[in-house]
Amino acid sequence: MSLDGPAVTAALRSVARDAGVTARVHATRLAGPSGTVALDDAEPVAIASLYKLPLALVWADLVTAGHLAADEPVRLPAASRMPGPTGVAMLLDDVVLTARDVVRLMLAVSDNACGDALLALVGRDRVHERLGVLGLPATSVRQGSADETRAILRDTGAATWAAAQRALADPDRAAETSQYDPALASAATAAELGQVLRVLWNGQGAAHDLVRDALAHQAWRHRAGSGFPHDDVALLGKTGTLGRLRHEAAVVGFPHEHPVGVVVLTRAARPERYLPGVDAAIGELARIAVGPLRLPDDA
Amino acid sequence: MDLLKHLGFFRAVADVRHFGNAAADLGMTQPPLSQGIRRLERHLGVRLFDRDARGVRITAAGRRLLPAARDLLDAADDLVSTARDLALPEQVRLGIAADLEDGVPYLLRSLASGPTPGPTSGPSSAGTLVAPTVAGSVEVVDLLRDGLLDVGVVRHPGVLDGLAAGPVLVVPTRLVRGPDMTGRDADARQPTPADVPLPVAVPPRHHQPPAHDQLIDALRRAGHSGDVVEARDAAQRWALGAAAGLVPVLPDGLIAPGGPAGPPLRLRVALPLAAQRRPEVDHEAVAQAVRAALGPPSGPPSDPVPRPPQGAAG
Repeated sequence: MSLDGPAVTAALRSVARDAGVTARVHATRLAGPSGTVALDDAEPVAIASLYKLPLALVWADLVTAGHLAADEPVRLPAASRMPGPTGVAMLLDDVVLTARDVVRLMLAVSDNACGDALLALVGRDRVHERLGVLGLPATSVRQGSADETRAILRDTGAATWAAAQRALADPDRAAETSQYDPALASAATAAELGQVLRVLWNGQGAAHDLVRDALAHQAWRHRAGSGFPHDDVALLGKTGTLGRLRHEAAVVGFPHEHPVGVVVLTRAARPERYLPGVDAAIGELARIAVGPLRLPDDA
Repeated sequence: MDLLKHLGFFRAVADVRHFGNAAADLGMTQPPLSQGIRRLERHLGVRLFDRDARGVRITAAGRRLLPAARDLLDAADDLVSTARDLALPEQVRLGIAADLEDGVPYLLRSLASGPTPGPTSGPSSAGTLVAPTVAGSVEVVDLLRDGLLDVGVVRHPGVLDGLAAGPVLVVPTRLVRGPDMTGRDADARQPTPADVPLPVAVPPRHHQPPAHDQLIDALRRAGHSGDVVEARDAAQRWALGAAAGLVPVLPDGLIAPGGPAGPPLRLRVALPLAAQRRPEVDHEAVAQAVRAALGPPSGPPSDPVPRPPQGAAG
């Protein structure tokens, strides 16, 4: 089935409305003839843990340029880590990892401690300098995961992370936080994150291989991946989740077709933490956006 | 000359064939009416009436022109009344989520009788007169965004597309089994939706998908295992409840109570974007009055919701 532009946009809007989300979508063929599908993809939004994706790209560029060493040891002392749900952030003791393993955990399980450590290693100024060179003015890594957590604790007045999450998920309130605001949190547009995927896909160094491999090892496939329930379709993805925000940027690889990058950024009307219907809608949005871009690579 | 006014003279005289009676109908005296008819005849270049000892007779030309004159006058009346409907200077265009439709008369009465709060208008006993539009919440949001409503009560949660909205109002509900069971409230044990294996009839999902999904999740969480049936309006929900033993979920306090407590109905009062707001409407004051009529914002569950005057139902 082939859909023209307005029909695809209407289909995307219809799925978003049915799922009760505001959606920004950008899909783009990463090789072969250019082609793009978009829905409100120039709108800046807070990206939550998706900041780790441009951060990983900048790290890979710096390693390839010889400014950083991939096997550099990185200390993650327990006392200075912000506790988080996965990876090193959920461990109890001091940890030392190489930079490239920090990148792997940061991408594969969205490890917050590793995100903070890598941002400290690369430095915010170098991140923004590189994003400027890449022509991504709307993409901003304002802070890492620890600062995001602190801002939410402050906004909700909660003493613990669990209490803060309950406050954001209270169905009887319309809870807000600065971390939903693209002017205050790390932010990007769907179109620019699509550009991040493109640069990452075309990066030639071993460090870029490493980042792609880590994305292919993402531990969950319930979101964009739910739109491609096929064992032979490769999915390289990174999610971002915070309260009502559910995002994913992914590369979809059908065998013998050009890979397609797809970015789906959503903000749900419902505040609850577990909304499988919204995760499934992100898969549906990704499938609808990728569909018209599928093309044999004739290799 | 004022053509419409003079055509009105023409019509009045043609209808009663008597200058004195026509003048009385028009609320004027005879001499200016006679002068007006002569002016119209000069303006049109034809004689409209023959006047002689036997009275007033319409001429052949007058008879030919009369239908066109009536059409013009009717069209002018239509134009004025349409303009009045569009302007509605004293009425606030209020959108109301269809989930509340059983409670709409109560809500409108509360608004009309209650004081209009607000810093700009000051306390007033006049109340708030509204022109209501009852629709699904998604449609109410669309109308607000297009500037076709001044204030909207919508179900929460729902996509608001950047519209400003007040705090979440939590209205308790009861699961009621058809009209024959209203008023039976004798069960001392606190029942739960898990006691109700019957289907529950609710408004259509497309009215507000996220709120609908949240309601179903809440019913399942409480142990309800029956079907959830979508009914297009309150009458159909009640009919299902009465005929097939289905159980509508209705706002408590806005309708006769009875039956186990259901998941609460959550509402928000939303306003158009600043650029779309009519200057003659005090949006914030109306929103506050609507919130007051619907109950306390996010209060504890024990807070009573104002009850409408009940008729024979109790």
